[in-house]
Amino acid sequence: MRREPQRKTSHVMSLRFHWMLPKAGEVTVAEPQTPQAAALYRIESISDSSPAPRPDLEGWVHFARAAEEAGLDSILVSFSRYEPDPLVVSCALGLATSKLRYIAAYRSGLINPTSFVQQVNTISALIPGRLSLNIVAGSSTAEQRGYGDFLAHDERYARAEEFLAVCNSFWRGQPEVEFEGKHYRVERGRIHTPFFSGQPEVYISGHSEPAERLALAQGTCLLRVADTPQNLRAKVAEMRASGLEVCLRMCVLCADTREDAIRVAHSLLPDSDVGRHERSISVKNDSQMYREGAALGGEASWLNRFLWTGLVPHFGPVWTTLLGTPNDLAEAILEYKRIGITQFIMSGWPERDAVVTFGQKVLPLIREGEQSV
Amino acid sequence: MSLRFHWMFPKGGEVALKTPQATSRVLTTRSTSPAALPDMEGWTSFARVAEEVGIESVLLSFSYYEPDTIFIASAVGQATTRLKFIVAYRAGLMQPATLVQQINTVSGLIGGRVALNFVAGSDPVEQRGYGDFLDHDERYARAEEYLEVCRAFWRNEGDVNFDGKYCRVEGGKLLTPFTAPDRSSPEIYISGHSEQAQRLALAHGSSWLRLIDTPEKLRPLVARFRERGVEVSLRLCVICRATREEAIKAANSMLPSEDISREERGILSNSDSQTLKQALAAADNVGWLNRHLWAGLVPHYGSSAMTLLGSPQELANIFLEYGRIGVTQFIISGWPKLDEMLIFGRDVLPLIREAEAERS
Repeated sequence: MRREPQRKTSHVMSLRFHWMLPKAGEVTVAEPQTPQAAALYRIESISDSSPAPRPDLEGWVHFARAAEEAGLDSILVSFSRYEPDPLVVSCALGLATSKLRYIAAYRSGLINPTSFVQQVNTISALIPGRLSLNIVAGSSTAEQRGYGDFLAHDERYARAEEFLAVCNSFWRGQPEVEFEGKHYRVERGRIHTPFFSGQPEVYISGHSEPAERLALAQGTCLLRVADTPQNLRAKVAEMRASGLEVCLRMCVLCADTREDAIRVAHSLLPDSDVGRHERSISVKNDSQMYREGAALGGEASWLNRFLWTGLVPHFGPVWTTLLGTPNDLAEAILEYKRIGITQFIMSGWPERDAVVTFGQKVLPLIREGEQSV
Repeated sequence: MSLRFHWMFPKGGEVALKTPQATSRVLTTRSTSPAALPDMEGWTSFARVAEEVGIESVLLSFSYYEPDTIFIASAVGQATTRLKFIVAYRAGLMQPATLVQQINTVSGLIGGRVALNFVAGSDPVEQRGYGDFLDHDERYARAEEYLEVCRAFWRNEGDVNFDGKYCRVEGGKLLTPFTAPDRSSPEIYISGHSEQAQRLALAHGSSWLRLIDTPEKLRPLVARFRERGVEVSLRLCVICRATREEAIKAANSMLPSEDISREERGILSNSDSQTLKQALAAADNVGWLNRHLWAGLVPHYGSSAMTLLGSPQELANIFLEYGRIGVTQFIISGWPKLDEMLIFGRDVLPLIREAEAERS
């Protein structure tokens, strides 16, 4: 059952860097944006009055071209009821760019696997193979129910495992797929449109045991929020030993001095009202990643000299931030490489400026330092 | 209201194929057929011609041997400016909320130029390959619930709650709206000849889509739909030549070889679609339904090969006659699709528009 990851050999040695797609309307082509305004836009993107649910090809392409130029590998397009569909957006952006790849996040319970494979393969044919997947078993129970999914956390993982088992059967090139599980049943499944070449990379996110098991069984890479190298070392070694890559999700804040970076970071701390709203979302959430995140903050908000969780209790675990000077950041990332991490999915404030800074100031130091790691 | 004309979208690689035999279902359903792959070059040139000759939309068919319709519509939509895309999809392959989110996203990307053609499912073998094990009648019962949920999202009046036999949604909410210059939800075409299909179209469709038949046969059916505020669209093929005799000659040259016919019969026998059963009966019993409507190609190319043939003036008159009994839209195909669309746009459509202008 274990699938073989498809990787380009050129990527085996160098670290791969991906970036989050900004919310629609977040990147404006004409006006510069402050980190505070960018953070606020993202926080308010789930409100009914935000323009973020409406696709914004112009702003996205402006961002994507900067990401291509900065030397990034892929863009992660997130999934939620507050945003446009990530598969459709990945396809549209893929057609408007030439090198950049797209990691589309999708929930496994929302579509049957045969249809999903047909959609994914169609996109891969349209944007020659530049599509990967981030399969999420589900996040908040309330949101899942709004999509018609009433399974509990652990059952969602069992279903996700079946879902990916069916998908991987198609992607391995079986002419007719037969599957009989608890959640899915397929008889003589055929999809003539193939994945562009080989199989897509599949990132599995989550911090729970079931998430790790799912990644090991059906994924090519475990995606999780950054923690300190010490805390991650054992887990990463275990995953790598099983042939799985590990990718860290984090925000980055790069400034000329560490003090400047910390000052900007603190300026992103919320007004108390916004914070309470977000915390109430976290409490309702049955994701283990979110429960861990909600416990962070306060005195314990520095995990080490570079890794800050001050924003996490307010905005969720993916606001875990790596901050410092270009040298600090390059050193921190090379340390992750030493323990076996191979990929990073980043985000910053504002996204486009952060990508440009990362590409110009941090990435060259990493590429240089990588030679000796 | 002027009549609306749509065209069938060619399969991958089809724009380069010049004979109906080469585009037959028998050949395009083979896994080695170019129909499995997107053909952006051929499609984009076809779509631009469609825009130029005054075709309003293209219908993208759904099957396991073709690329996914939603993404092709979005991609070709990015490369065009006026043409609309009627996307065929089967109810039941994904959660209704997921379909609405995808369609709404496409609408936001291509200025709302997307509509849906709902099919409850046709071939039970194909459905099982998609993990769907319901029978014909149950598929319609599910489609009914499915569309009710979709439409609740499109009404955009707060959280969606639904507790049915096949669909259940609690506190459903999608922030990405359907956006178009003139609509807040997509047009929905419901296909099928069965009672269930008609009921579904009356309950949830903006148009019932069915195979062409003679105006006499269709008149009472069309009236029933129009009274209830639902449009009727006819699916047909067209062979237009300078004279009826030349059109018949062209039609006869399109008959396929023996083995393609035999294989097509095999594909057809798997279907539990009532549309198909009726079309085959028409072909077996009479061949010609009236002076211009011919079922002779149906046993070889499937039910949608019901063909209207004649001279430009004859065809224009026939379309106007369907208009008089209340039909408002046509989804047309031809062999080859591009060439026949050019003939239609150049020779037939201007006659129809002229007559419509005189009348109003």
